[in-house]
Amino acid sequence: MPSYTIRVNNAEKTVSVDADTPLLWVLRDELGLTGTKYACGKGLCGSCTVQYKGNAIRSCTLPISSALEANITTIEGLSPDQNHPVQQAWMELDVPQCGYCQSGQLISAATLLSKNNNPTEDEINAAMSGNICRCGTYTRIRKAIQLASSKLDK
Amino acid sequence: MKNTLKRRNFIKLTVSASGALVIGVHLQSCMPKKKIPEVYEFSPLIKIDTDGWVSLIAKNPEIGQGIKTALPMILAEELGANWNKVKVVQADYNKVYDEQWAGGSYAIILNWDLMRTAGAMVRQVLVRAASQKMNLPIEELTAKNSNIVHVKSGDSLPFEKLIVEASQIPLPEEVEFKSMDSFEIVGKSIPQVDLDKVVSGGVEYAIDVKLPEMVYATVLKNPVFEGGITSYEDNEARLVNGVVDIIELNNAAYGGRLIAPNSPNFVNGIAVIGKSTWATFKAVKKLKVVWDNSSSRKENTDEIFVRFHDQLSNTSIERKDGDIKKAKRSAALNYEAVYEVPFLAHATMEPMNCTVDFRDDFCEVWAPTQNPEALQEGLMKLFGLKPEQIKIHLPRIGGGFGRRYYVDYAMDAAILSQKTGKPVKLTWTREEDIRHDWYRPGSVQKIAASLDKEGMVIGWQHILANASRKTSLGREGGPAGTEIDEYDFPAGFVPNLQFEYGHVLSDVPLGQWRAVAASANAFAVHCFLDELAFINKMDPIDYFLEFLGPKRMVPVVGDYEFDVERLITVVEKVRQNSNWDTALPKGQGRGFAARKGAGSFIAEVVTIDTDENGKVKILRVDAAVDCGIVVNPSGAKAQVEGGILEGLCAALYGEITVKDGATVQSNFHDYQWMRMGEMPEINVEFIKNELPPRGLGEPPLPPAIPALANAIYAATGKRIRKLPIVNHLVD
Ligand code: FES
Ligand code: FES
Repeated sequence: MPSYTIRVNNAEKTVSVDADTPLLWVLRDELGLTGTKYACGKGLCGSCTVQYKGNAIRSCTLPISSALEANITTIEGLSPDQNHPVQQAWMELDVPQCGYCQSGQLISAATLLSKNNNPTEDEINAAMSGNICRCGTYTRIRKAIQLASSKLDK
Repeated sequence: MKNTLKRRNFIKLTVSASGALVIGVHLQSCMPKKKIPEVYEFSPLIKIDTDGWVSLIAKNPEIGQGIKTALPMILAEELGANWNKVKVVQADYNKVYDEQWAGGSYAIILNWDLMRTAGAMVRQVLVRAASQKMNLPIEELTAKNSNIVHVKSGDSLPFEKLIVEASQIPLPEEVEFKSMDSFEIVGKSIPQVDLDKVVSGGVEYAIDVKLPEMVYATVLKNPVFEGGITSYEDNEARLVNGVVDIIELNNAAYGGRLIAPNSPNFVNGIAVIGKSTWATFKAVKKLKVVWDNSSSRKENTDEIFVRFHDQLSNTSIERKDGDIKKAKRSAALNYEAVYEVPFLAHATMEPMNCTVDFRDDFCEVWAPTQNPEALQEGLMKLFGLKPEQIKIHLPRIGGGFGRRYYVDYAMDAAILSQKTGKPVKLTWTREEDIRHDWYRPGSVQKIAASLDKEGMVIGWQHILANASRKTSLGREGGPAGTEIDEYDFPAGFVPNLQFEYGHVLSDVPLGQWRAVAASANAFAVHCFLDELAFINKMDPIDYFLEFLGPKRMVPVVGDYEFDVERLITVVEKVRQNSNWDTALPKGQGRGFAARKGAGSFIAEVVTIDTDENGKVKILRVDAAVDCGIVVNPSGAKAQVEGGILEGLCAALYGEITVKDGATVQSNFHDYQWMRMGEMPEINVEFIKNELPPRGLGEPPLPPAIPALANAIYAATGKRIRKLPIVNHLVD
């Protein structure tokens, strides 16, 4: 098997996997970063979202061979101490239910705010439309993004 | 409030080697079938450490319903613990914790008294210990913030200084609960435990478990329900890098499809074992299987629903009050309508998976299960194991909704671990998850009402035809079961009333779902009531209130009574909060429904907008809820928000169809779920009272479905009698 060196949460990691192995499974099975979740495997639900080149991407459809150019930020690397504004806002509003979709939601939200720190409600809805929450935490997520944005604004 | 204890031997205080006070319990809920144990075995429920930290066991599986926070809150309240110095520890499966399952909105109902009693008993013991040590009268002492406090003098002793004394004090014969106005934890919005872990990816779900020497597995099941395997060819699959083995899973060798009433066995298929999940996912696609579908009914949804319709005229009577025929003859108007609801999947966000280490006659399981008791029973039956040879861990679960009441996927994993002699993590693909679900039963329902000249209902006939959960899959030999119960609404409200059930057999695997029967029946009942309101040219809420009649207790069945006043209260509240009586612009509409479920009362109003193509945009949802005491308002509100969203999703999009005996849908592209932009603001108000808390996981869901359909009628004049709504929309 070929070997690849990727940068995850600012640390270099070398793994031996097939070229078509989705980044998701490298993170989960090879690197033990299980915060990134599998739920559809087809880019339909957003549970596996990570940040790559400043964008929120679905790691279940990104082969490792295409993930070599930049740092990858997973939920584990979003902040050292749960102190990213979105994490703070999430905790303040008690957002999660089952929690399974939340890593992906947080990464999408953090990515949105990194590009636009004062998004409108429509912009939030659009940026988050790729992330399904089966439990129905959407209204709290929306509020949490607004709260995080208000913290960033200051 | 003082309660004399029938059994105080369910609790035992000991001091551990490390000097902590350990409160062991052997719980017995009030479920009638329960026998008093002959020998009491104890497992810890509370631990008071010498450093002042209090550990509380969370006994039930956490599926996102917040129970890991709510039950310890009740314990901590009665104990008088300082919540900021409480550690919550998830229990493994253990029969002494009793009713250790998630389903039917029961956890709070069944555990409220248990948790209070255990907490209060320990508090009383600590108070007595402090009274001796401080030489003060018991009546002057209270527990507060993990201290026993003498209010008059301000003196206090922390719990940890009372450990030795407390362990020697006999348990009280009477337990005295705290008065509700002195509650400091229950009734407060407490952020759920593990929140910091959830937001940083640090929770270990079953799907995240990793064990030394573990191998990964996935399965390809015969897509046709109840099919078998004729032959298969796996050369290509075995060539995939990382594949370790290919194993046939044939349930005939393991007791067939049903091994215990709630423990359906696995579906026949082929498993791939590999060194990574991806290796197994890749290889499974390369299997070439010839399926044996000779025993399948090869059903199609259209044909199934034709049989449901036909069965409306061939029914058994499930409830009969008065004489509906007489009512029909004397009626000023007879009116009927037929409704249809589809099969629905669960699509829990975390797909079915299970990790099992079954070596040396010991089976250790990390299971995302709502029903560990059934899992244990299944493993015992499958492998002839004794309870002491099984250990079931209960990690946090990525959604349940009734799917994980069944343990078929765990049976797969256990067999694979046994066969490979290694720990195995089995992960189903989403496609397998959707295709091998236990679907919410679809049904056809006819309601016929006889109205007097004032438009009031004097006769009500509700006929439901479908394939029932109870006869699904291998359970055909048992009683037919019914999907309409004698206590369903509006039993007790109409003098001449008849419920009938038409039973059809089908291969479609059917099971629990969030508010399973109510989610289907509420659509028919509350859309029908809305139709009656419009026939009478009345406002739907006015009509509903007249239908309910005066505030009173309505006897329904046995000693079960329906408190009409509590329902009226939430109806009036939601009417006000939703601005029901104000006009809306053209194209917009409001719909209403209100029900009782799991002992709680809920009224909902959905407000929508429509465009010229009839496309629906939900603008807002208002809900008024009386669930008795609200243990954790933040968590309770989340349950209402989640239940409403799930109802709306089901109404708009939910549909599983079957073709040639197999499920057509396979993933989120064809089993749709609402996205954030479609989810409106949900305004929830809880009615304040001091009645015992009731269920909240399920009750918010059913009313959302008819409320949305009724809103569409109000906005467009179009009656939705068949779900999902998306099938009615013009593109
Ligand atoms: S798992 Fe990647 S989008 Fe669903
Ligand atoms: S919190 Fe359960 S899927 Fe979003």
